[in-house]
Parts: sequence; structure tokens; C-alpha cells
Amino acid sequence: MEIVVALAINGLIWGLIIALIALGLSIIFGLLDVINLAHGDFFMVGTVLAWFIVQYTDSFWLALLIAPVIGLLFGAVIQRVIIKPIQNAAALTIVATFGLSIILQEGVRATFGAAPKRLMPPIEATIPLFGIEYELYRIVAAAIALACLIAFFVFLHRTKLGSWMRAVRHDRETALSLGIPVGQIYTITFAIGFGIAALGGVVAAPITTVDFRSGIDILPFCFMAVIIGGLGNLQGTAVAAVLLAFLEGIITAFADPVVARITSLCLMSAVLLFRPQGIFAGATA
Amino acid sequence: MMSINMQKIVTLGLGGLIFLFFAAAPVLLPLVTNPFWVSIAAEILIWSLLAASVNLLLGYTGLLSFGQALYFGVGMYGVAIGVSKFGLGFWPAFGLGIFAGTTMAAITGTLAVRLTWHYFAIITVVFSLIFYFIALTLKSLTGGDDGLAFSLPPMMTWGDWQIGLTDPNVQYYFVFFVVAACFLLMGVVLRSPFGRALVAIRENADRAELVGFNVYLLRLTSFIFAGFLAGTAGALFALFGRYASASYMFYHVSGEAVVWAIVGGAGTLLGPIIGTGLLILIREELSLYWDHYLLLVGAIVILTVRFAPRGIAGFVIDLVAKLPAEHRRKSENRPKKREAAE
Repeated sequence: MEIVVALAINGLIWGLIIALIALGLSIIFGLLDVINLAHGDFFMVGTVLAWFIVQYTDSFWLALLIAPVIGLLFGAVIQRVIIKPIQNAAALTIVATFGLSIILQEGVRATFGAAPKRLMPPIEATIPLFGIEYELYRIVAAAIALACLIAFFVFLHRTKLGSWMRAVRHDRETALSLGIPVGQIYTITFAIGFGIAALGGVVAAPITTVDFRSGIDILPFCFMAVIIGGLGNLQGTAVAAVLLAFLEGIITAFADPVVARITSLCLMSAVLLFRPQGIFAGATA
Repeated sequence: MMSINMQKIVTLGLGGLIFLFFAAAPVLLPLVTNPFWVSIAAEILIWSLLAASVNLLLGYTGLLSFGQALYFGVGMYGVAIGVSKFGLGFWPAFGLGIFAGTTMAAITGTLAVRLTWHYFAIITVVFSLIFYFIALTLKSLTGGDDGLAFSLPPMMTWGDWQIGLTDPNVQYYFVFFVVAACFLLMGVVLRSPFGRALVAIRENADRAELVGFNVYLLRLTSFIFAGFLAGTAGALFALFGRYASASYMFYHVSGEAVVWAIVGGAGTLLGPIIGTGLLILIREELSLYWDHYLLLVGAIVILTVRFAPRGIAGFVIDLVAKLPAEHRRKSENRPKKREAAE
């Protein structure tokens, strides 16, 4: 029973982190119409940046501050240089992000190395939770992820930039005619997408291993959250990520993790085929 | 139209050159370099068939599939399981591989082609991932991550004398003829009314539907044909490597095939073989000197997409077609009339 509880909580925490990363994927898709195959690697770059910053400054909290900013800059540059010139050809953007994914993975392998490394959690205490000793950092990580999720939605709904982003997503032409700088909004959106994926990477780094391949595993999971929640439906994405991770956590307690993965993939294809607008469409705006 | 004629001539010339090169490779390559390159040439041929299956969908039907590795992997397992579990001979096992890949495409295709664009790209990845994970768990049948090795049955036996892929020349020419036949078949199919209908769908599916084409059925047929090409490639690769492995179903393999097709030139018959050849050469040659050659591959992908979206083949065809066209435009004005007549 303890194992089930532990795995369920693990799933919940992972879900919150994944929700953060998947949100980035979702806004990039919703606004720019780009399927970003490099998104898992944005997360991976976040974990690696965290590792480097901790190496040089010895402060995890500094990494939590700096890495997302570096992510933002990377994202802005990538959008300007790679995505913008081919904005209108959907197939080409997918392929370009695949090329980007290769470059990011190989770039990290060249600088950081091929061997996975571990980052020690900044908080090493444990707390008793439902009869098990649970790592305190994981709870903190979940809290950070949740806070960032809330902050993101507040940003999207309560700030000028956020409402511009929603406006561009809703109707590009009208937004343009009202004087919203659509081109810049695209860049900012992509930058934010990279930034929050990198943030997710920093938060997750002490829980998982720092490895140039870690994006490969995370990408399908993010896509599942985005699809099941509904492409472009941000609240749906966040909820789906948490639910999926929770579900996989529980299934993992009773069966092979691979079975859990197959179950969620089948669920995802069913949603794609029968409810491509996602399972929450109609419930949320 | 003039440029179409030129394009045909360029394609034929280029195709002839590529055909001659690969036909002579086992003789030519050992003269100038290490004989090991002959097997690289065979590998290029096999993988170019997988790239061709991506090209048929993306370049001629307007569907980007990121899951062609699934049919490649199933083709591999068809052969490996046929030989090691059912004790099949060479030809039945080869046939089973192709059949398995094609059937898998027919089954998944009926669902997948209901979707288009982004959704299609995603569902093809999802399907390939599902079966990748299934293959990983069914260890007793597939060998999981380690794969399934088998010993090669002979192609033909007469008493004591037998002929099989253990002879490197037989192996090479077997691959060569199968791949050449597949490319020829693809060329013929694309030239047929069916192929023209596919291009019409690629250009505008709504109009094609209104003109009276059954878009769903045409897309499905194209998808199954692509599965056939990928399955054949997989069956060949299983015979070539004498094993099958689930790792070949992973979406990175599909992604590589997309890269090969795009860099070579999607929408041109020969693009995939050019792209596959170039990138495998980079992999084999450059990786000896530079561990991080993938950085270059990624850069090539992005640069191609940005500056030559029709790939190398498209770039060459456009270039050659442009040169004489300018001469002609000055001297005669007949093309205009012909255009009007068309």
C-alpha cells in the first residue's frame, strides 16, 4: 500500500512539472502552429543549465532564477533565426525542430558529456507522509511547479502581454489590424515556451538524472498531455498532464511501467481520432 | 510546359547516373577504396527505400508521417520471426516481412488517414510508439531491446550447391535489384492517373474532393503503398543484418527518414536516395574524425529547410531547368501557345 501511495504522489509531482513543460509546447502550437519536436530538449537544456550553474555558483536557487532567463533568450533567438523564415510551411517547421533537437542533444553531449550525472537536491530533509518518509524537496518541487503554473495563467489573463498573446491566438488578422505587434508576440511566445520548459528542467533536475537524452522520454509524455487536454487548450493541458502522470504512477504500482505507457498512448490515439479537440473542450473556454 | 520536360530529362539523367553507379559499385568501389564501402552502398540503398516511403506521403500526398519506422520494424520482424520461429525459407520469409509491413500499414492507415497535417503527424508517431513499447514487452517473441538474431536460410539449393546472401556479391545485387524495382514501381505509379490524383490531393484536398476524387481512399492507398516500401526496406535490412530489433521502430528512426527525404528533396523521385546517400556518407566518414558530426547533420537539416525546401534534387532540377529556359525564351515564342493549349 505504501508503494502505491508513493508512486501516486510521485506521479502527481511529475504531473505538475510535466504540466509546466507541456504548457510551453501547447502555447507554441496554439500560437505559432509549430509542432515542436525539440521541446523535450528544451527541458533537457534546463536540467543541464541547472547542473552547470550549481557547479559554478553552488546555489540551486540561483539556477532556478538564471536558467529560465537563458532559456528565454535561446527561445527568442531560435524563433527569429530558424522558425520565422519558414513560418508558413507547417511540414518544414516540424522538420526544422527535429534538426534543432539533434543540434541541442549533440551540443549538450559535446559540452556536458555523454554520461548522466546526478544533481543533489538543495533540501535533503525528509518528511513523514502517509506512513512513508518522503523527500521534502519533491514536495517543494511540486509547490514551485504549481506556483509557476498559477503565475503563468495570471500572466496570460491579467497582463497586457498575456491578453495580446490570447488575442493573436484567437484571430491573427484582427490582432494585427488592431496594432498588436504579432511578429514580436510570436517571438515572445516561443521564448516563453523555451523558458518554462527550462524552468521545468531546473525543478526536475534533482529528481531525475541530468542526461543529454532525457528530452527523448519527456517529449511523448508532453504531447500526450497536450493532445488529451486539447491542442491549444492550456488549462486542459495542465489538468491532463497531472491526471496522466497520476494514472501512470498508479498503473506502475501494479504493472510494468511500459504497460502504463502503452495505456496512455492508446488513450491518446483514441482522443486524437474521436475527440481531436481534447477531452475538456466545451468545459473550458 | 518547357520546365516540366526539362525536369523529366534531368530526372532521367540523374536516375541513370545513380543506377549506373550503384550497379557498378561492387566492382568500382574496391578499386578506389576499402571494400567495406560496398556494404555501405547496400545500406544506403535499403534506407533510401524507407526515405522513399516518407517521400511518397510527404512529397506526393501531402501527409507528413513521423512513424514510417513502424512498418520498417514490422518488416524486419516478419523476416526474423518467419525464419527463427516458423522455420521459413528465404523467399517465404522475405514475403512475410513485406506482407507484415504492408498489413500493419493497412490497419493503422485506416485510422491515421482520417486525420491530416499536425494530427496525422502526431498519430503516426503515437502508433509507432505503441508498437515499439509492445515489441519491447513481448521479449519472448521479439527479443526486446536486444533484438532477435537468426541464421540466414539459402536462397536456392541444388544438391550440395547453394546460393545465398552469405556471398557478398549476391547480397549486394539482391538488395540492388529489389530497391531498383521498388523505385521503378514508384516511378510508374506516380506517373499513373492514381499518382496524379495524389498530387492533386497534395495541392488542395478540398478541390480534389469536389472534383470527385475519394480523398480518404486515395490517401489510404498511398499510405499502404508507403507501408509496402518501408516494409520491404525493413525485410531487406533484416536479411542484410541477420537480425531484427525493436529499436528500429523508435520515432528517431522515422525522424531520420524524414530528414533524408527532405534533404534529398521531397516531391522528387530520386531525392530520397540522394539525401540518404549524403547523410549516411557523412555518418560513416565524418564520424571517424569528429565525434559530434550530428551537429553538422542538424545544421544541414535546418539550412535545407530554410534555403532549399525542395532539397538537393529539387535545387538541381530547378537550376538545370532554368539555364536553357532563358536561352529559349529569347529565340522562340512557341511555348506560350502550347501553354495556352494545355
